[in-house]
Amino acid sequence: MNQSSKSTVMNGLPWILPAFVFVVGLIYYSIFYTFKLSTLDWNGLDPLQTSVGMSNYDKALNDWIFWKAIRNTAVFFVITFLIQNFLGFLFAAILHSNVKLATLHKCLIFIPTILAPATMAPVFRLLFSPQGMLQDVFDALHLGITVDWLARPDSALFVLMIVTIWQFTGMSFILYYAAMSQIDREMLEASHLDGAGKFRTLLSIVLPNCKSTTISLAMLGIIGSLKTFDVPYLITTGGPNHATEFLGTYIFRQGIRQSHLGYAAAISVMLLVLAICGAILVNRMNKGGDK
Amino acid sequence: MFETRSLKSKIVLQIVLLLLTIPYVIPLIQMFIGSLGGTGWHNYKAVWDTGVVPIYFRNSLLISAGVIALVYAFSMTAGFGFAKLRIFGKEVFFWLILVALTLPEVILLSPLFVTFQKLHMFNTFWAVILPTAALQLPFTILLARNFNSGIPSQLMEAARIDGASVFSTFWYVILPLTKPIAASIIVLTLINSWNTYLLPLLFLQSPDMQTVTLLPQYFQGEFTNDQTKILAAAVLTAIPVIIVYLFMQKSFEKGMSAGALK
Repeated sequence: MNQSSKSTVMNGLPWILPAFVFVVGLIYYSIFYTFKLSTLDWNGLDPLQTSVGMSNYDKALNDWIFWKAIRNTAVFFVITFLIQNFLGFLFAAILHSNVKLATLHKCLIFIPTILAPATMAPVFRLLFSPQGMLQDVFDALHLGITVDWLARPDSALFVLMIVTIWQFTGMSFILYYAAMSQIDREMLEASHLDGAGKFRTLLSIVLPNCKSTTISLAMLGIIGSLKTFDVPYLITTGGPNHATEFLGTYIFRQGIRQSHLGYAAAISVMLLVLAICGAILVNRMNKGGDK
Repeated sequence: MFETRSLKSKIVLQIVLLLLTIPYVIPLIQMFIGSLGGTGWHNYKAVWDTGVVPIYFRNSLLISAGVIALVYAFSMTAGFGFAKLRIFGKEVFFWLILVALTLPEVILLSPLFVTFQKLHMFNTFWAVILPTAALQLPFTILLARNFNSGIPSQLMEAARIDGASVFSTFWYVILPLTKPIAASIIVLTLINSWNTYLLPLLFLQSPDMQTVTLLPQYFQGEFTNDQTKILAAAVLTAIPVIIVYLFMQKSFEKGMSAGALK
């Protein structure tokens, strides 16, 4: 112990300083600038900046689209989290069994996680339109369903959830797969000997042993939902009638498209607060579980 | 997990797996079939003949290379410093970096928009490289620090007794030992910078500076909404990514899951 502390006598400041100045400089500068912008009524170009105090925050709290974006984010998180991790867990369990072509299946599930949403967006716009493959399949089966889900306010958000689940199941799968490799085989056998069925073992032994993975995935899910931008922006541009509006798309719409920089900044600050709260919440859940 | 013995249950499990996997392939099939609609393979020729695809690829490569270089250099040095060297107020520095871990990039939009305009940085790769690297770094520094902490300090001690400077210890002892985490960091950064959309959308406005994620939009303008050619462009964009993944499966899977594992 003593020796290792002696070896760290050297002053390490020069080693962390470049990274620190770069990250903290750029990010904190932006955050403070956002705070400042949020008290202004300004279009970004005009030499005239009007200070409006906290009224941008007031405006957001009375803006139904802002609340709609929050509600969309919450619904989006809960549903994608449950389905995506259920599927990822199931894939991991199946691929830990003696199945054929495991590597092929693994690749097929994982490929969506590395493809850019920007590349796939045109594909999903076609797939979930009356000109797409799904419509052809429904027509062939004479189901009488019209695939106009992206155009309808009550279903567009669900299509975006499907897209997101499609994209990130591979992530849940890989994490659960790794966690399951570390479970003691003897424990599983003991459970089988006790007469527990396979599903029972999966629920009462495997799932609890993957708890820290589930928490990590919850963290990724909360942060990811708050960050959501590419998928709604590219597939529905937040519509129809704000049915798929997220905080990211709304900030972009207000700040960049309509040049309400101050208002966009106020929403950004609230998004920042939510992101930090989310991180603290999951962190506390994690610590609570360790006790 | 489902160690089945009877042939029947083996077949059932195999079929369940197949049925579960099919939905994940449908979008890829739709992409390919859609790209062959209308004029068939000529869509690919039309897309290629515009000559922009290689330019967009080059731009994405340059941006990714820039981000990776910054992220690699800063994470390796800072990871080493935070884990192994004595720094006054170390945890405060670390905490200040870590707070940025969960920052949504959209928060940076307004300030960067105004600042880059003032600094005349619109239409430069730096406008994308710098924020992308800064957003990536909190996470990769955390990864590098954790990995460095696992390296026995006796190795550094031995190097020091042999008269090695801190720098040569870092160069000859730490860097070779941290290759696994460096690989994860590079792959993760590559995926994130290659797929980045918002920052190029905002800051790269001239067509010869744009990235592969903006290709669909370019072709939407070029071919006035001819879906088949947009999808042909999407296939051309996706294929290299899929090929690189297939060749480096293990590193990709490790890189993507690096942070979430304890």
